[in-house]
Amino acid sequence: MNDKAVPPCQAACPIHTDVRGYVSAIAKGDVEEAIRIIRQVNPFPSSCGRICTRLCEKACRRAQIDEPISIRELKRFASDQTLGLKLIEIPENSYEEKIAVIGSGPAGLTAAHDLALLGYRVTVFDSQHVLGGMLSQGIPDYRLPKDLVKKEVDNILALGVEAKTGLSLGQDFTLEELLKDYQAVFIAVGSQKSLLPKYNGVELNGVIAAVEFLKQVSRGHKPRLGKNIAVIGGGHTAIDAARTSVRLGASDVTIVYRRTVDEIPAGPEEVEHAEKEGIKIIYLAAPVEFSGNEKVQSVRFIKMQLGDLDKSGRRRPVPIENSEFEITADTVILAIGYMPDAEVLKESGLNISRSGTVLVKDYTGITNIHDVFAAGDVVSGPQSVIEAIASGRRVAEALHHYFRTMPDKEEKNFMALKELDDGIVKLINKSERQKMPALKVEERITNFDEVDLGYSKDQAVMEAQRCLNCGAGAVVADNCAACLNCVRICPYGIPFPGKEIAEIDISQCQACGICASECPASAIILQLEAKENNRAELEKAVDIAREETPEILIIGFYCRYGSPIGPPFDEDEVCWLGKFCTGRMDEHQFIYPFELEVDGVVIHMCKNDECRFRDGNQWSKSHIKSAKKILNEIGIGADRLDIISEEDFHNFRNKLHALGINPLRTGKKVKT
Amino acid sequence: MIVAELKPFKEIENMLRDYKKVMVLGCGTCVTVCMSGGERQVELLASALRMAGRLERNEIIAGEKTILRQCDPEFIDQIKDEASNYDAILSMACGAGVQGVAERLAGIHILPAMNTTFIGVSDGQGTWIEACAACGDCILDRTGGICPVARCAKSLINGPCGGSKGGLCEVSKNNPCVWQQIYARLGKLNLINLLKGMSQPKTRPVHPRKLVNPKNAFG
Ligand SMILES: Cc1cc2nc3c(=O)[nH]c(=O)nc-3n(C[C@H](O)[C@H](O)[C@H](O)COP(=O)(O)OP(=O)(O)OC[C@H]3O[C@@H](n4cnc5c(N)ncnc54)[C@H](O)[C@@H]3O)c2cc1C
Ligand code: SF4
Repeated sequence: MNDKAVPPCQAACPIHTDVRGYVSAIAKGDVEEAIRIIRQVNPFPSSCGRICTRLCEKACRRAQIDEPISIRELKRFASDQTLGLKLIEIPENSYEEKIAVIGSGPAGLTAAHDLALLGYRVTVFDSQHVLGGMLSQGIPDYRLPKDLVKKEVDNILALGVEAKTGLSLGQDFTLEELLKDYQAVFIAVGSQKSLLPKYNGVELNGVIAAVEFLKQVSRGHKPRLGKNIAVIGGGHTAIDAARTSVRLGASDVTIVYRRTVDEIPAGPEEVEHAEKEGIKIIYLAAPVEFSGNEKVQSVRFIKMQLGDLDKSGRRRPVPIENSEFEITADTVILAIGYMPDAEVLKESGLNISRSGTVLVKDYTGITNIHDVFAAGDVVSGPQSVIEAIASGRRVAEALHHYFRTMPDKEEKNFMALKELDDGIVKLINKSERQKMPALKVEERITNFDEVDLGYSKDQAVMEAQRCLNCGAGAVVADNCAACLNCVRICPYGIPFPGKEIAEIDISQCQACGICASECPASAIILQLEAKENNRAELEKAVDIAREETPEILIIGFYCRYGSPIGPPFDEDEVCWLGKFCTGRMDEHQFIYPFELEVDGVVIHMCKNDECRFRDGNQWSKSHIKSAKKILNEIGIGADRLDIISEEDFHNFRNKLHALGINPLRTGKKVKT
Repeated sequence: MIVAELKPFKEIENMLRDYKKVMVLGCGTCVTVCMSGGERQVELLASALRMAGRLERNEIIAGEKTILRQCDPEFIDQIKDEASNYDAILSMACGAGVQGVAERLAGIHILPAMNTTFIGVSDGQGTWIEACAACGDCILDRTGGICPVARCAKSLINGPCGGSKGGLCEVSKNNPCVWQQIYARLGKLNLINLLKGMSQPKTRPVHPRKLVNPKNAFG
């Protein structure tokens, strides 16, 4: 057990976003809090919310029960809901040093953002006139609308970052020149050059490279492709090229990939979208020759089978003899990979690897040239947006340390909580992942409108509530009296008697809070819901409700899992407070409102057999019963506190009106 | 462990009738374990007292505090200064704790919030049973580890009274006949012959008893 371990989603995220934090904020409907958490580490929430490769979801422990949380779509939801919100103050210029960033993709702009926030003066150079790198020129609009990228880029420029566009390293300026005016140069020019295979006929007209094609389309061109298109490859670029061809009017688009559907790098959702849009995918085949007269007319392929593992750990495709076949193609789009433009980099004096990437010392991005740093796809080769952001962040921080002569910060190790035990998995209710609403096929293939429409608020909250809050459960404090009550009552059997005090394996705890509500020493702290916060929340709610001076004030506690979207029903006199299971509320939480002169307290629980935490209802009932007894004894009366449903609320209300206001407000005791 | 339960609320209220500032003092050991006098119960009782006080037009300030053990002067000293701000201390400890505090903080009136009931063991979730009468002359070696002094309604030490039915005590039908339990246990252990011996009548201990451990109490 390691209590410093973080949820697997956070450990897997290259920038270690506090996923659990923002997902749980959405679970209680607080999108502002969610976006604040996201923005602490990520200046591109809108983009990542749409096209992130979501390593987090691959690590999510919910998959042990059913399916991972739709983390990416929740990020998108948080960002879509808060587009106008100003989250970051314009930083003060605190340092003299000027920094030049070459390349305005996610790596370069993230570095510019972080360095500007630290107080440096930053200028970004890009060969293009539009900033954003592949986000604005490469990834198609139907997956990532350009206006959203522009907003994110503008937010970064608003921090005082200067942009110089249409200027190319190697053509319009050199590293040497830059180093005269700037104290450091940050190279983030990405991977821009498509790899071309050496088959016969690759030079024919109509054989084009995917990245260049997609960039052209992003810039507003509409190349004429013809009817039959063959796309070769299986990554994002291949699928994007195919789906873009469909939108440009091609009627017959075929993707040919040399491995199987299980290995395809684009992922199952992209493949599904492509197939829905009428794109054919041929697996286990590779081209041998392109033929035609000046212009390509057909491609000959050979069938493949999977052989032994290669260096990447995937099974190597091997050709099957005498299995060649041909398809007609007016255009062939090659999407077999791309790499940095090594020429320019070499000419600038940088050390380059055999695959054309810039060689750096380590995570600090230090290159062989003094004061020159590099990050993103130009260092790693083609990766992903989130990895480019992570790289930009790390190198920006290293640069700051370098300038301020601080020691390099050791890379923090994010250890993931271990898997859930099988016994616990069986006790957790299944709950279906929310489906992303999307445009109908016929509505999408004629234009570049965004296909995925985003979750509704209801969907987002329900999806967020699927999160298991990994690692945010119960922690035993030193004042544990070792009574072992928690050991006896936990619905999952997680606490166990330790040598001196009870211990709770945080990696397995489901954060129901029942043990905390029952601990006689108040020694169990529920990280998700600190006791002080509960009190403060109640006091604030009562204060606010008082201002409306209702004759009778009722506090209503409702189970958020039972009523995910918000209070179960509206009533003028009731001020609702949501709880993630009412079973975690102790007796004091039911009587304390009366001390604050509230007139009545109602509890709306989930349905009996639907408790997220198995025993929650039973514990609520027991705590309420005991609180009622106390209310009777002190003369406030047990009838002011009750479990209700929407149907019997009016009975309760009538009874309460007959009882009148809280006797603490009149000083008249109720005879019991 | 010592088991205690909260006195009826009315009784506590009456005790505090003449006090304005009361410290509700929990004990972090036995009564926390039996869930009647620990930090959580302090919070509840203090809240209840404040509210009841307001209704009686006798508003009281009820402070909340819990120390690890009220039967040790060193722990009591931890609240010495704070206690001087109060007119009375309502102790949620066992009788020993109440006296420990009364001895140490002699200038303040200490009142018991609890009835101390027995020395007992846990019998599963939320249940404790009496197990030892602190008689001062243990015979558990002869009774299969089951104490008839504490667990037989008549405290018989040389066999059952003969009134049990279906294994249940004739005095309180919810309780098992402890002699039947002893017999069964010894049978399992193949030690029935132990029952042939006689236990001598116990002499009632002379109160107050005192324990001096010569090794660490010199002089
Ligand atoms: C079609 C396509 C689809 C993709 N889909 C996804 C996806 O769904 N999810 C995902 O995570 N990743 C995806 N990627 C990968 C992702 O876009 C990249 O990994 C990421 O953009 C790399 O960021 P970067 O900042 O290092 O470089 P880039 O985004 O490539 O930005 C580099 C910038 O440098 C500029 N530049 C280049 N050369 C020069 C020069 N000589 N002088 C000045 N400026 C120069 C370029 O104009 C560009 O603006 C996709 C890539 C492509 C091509
Ligand atoms: S269930 Fe929630 S906290 Fe756990 S890994 Fe998934 S998203 Fe992260």
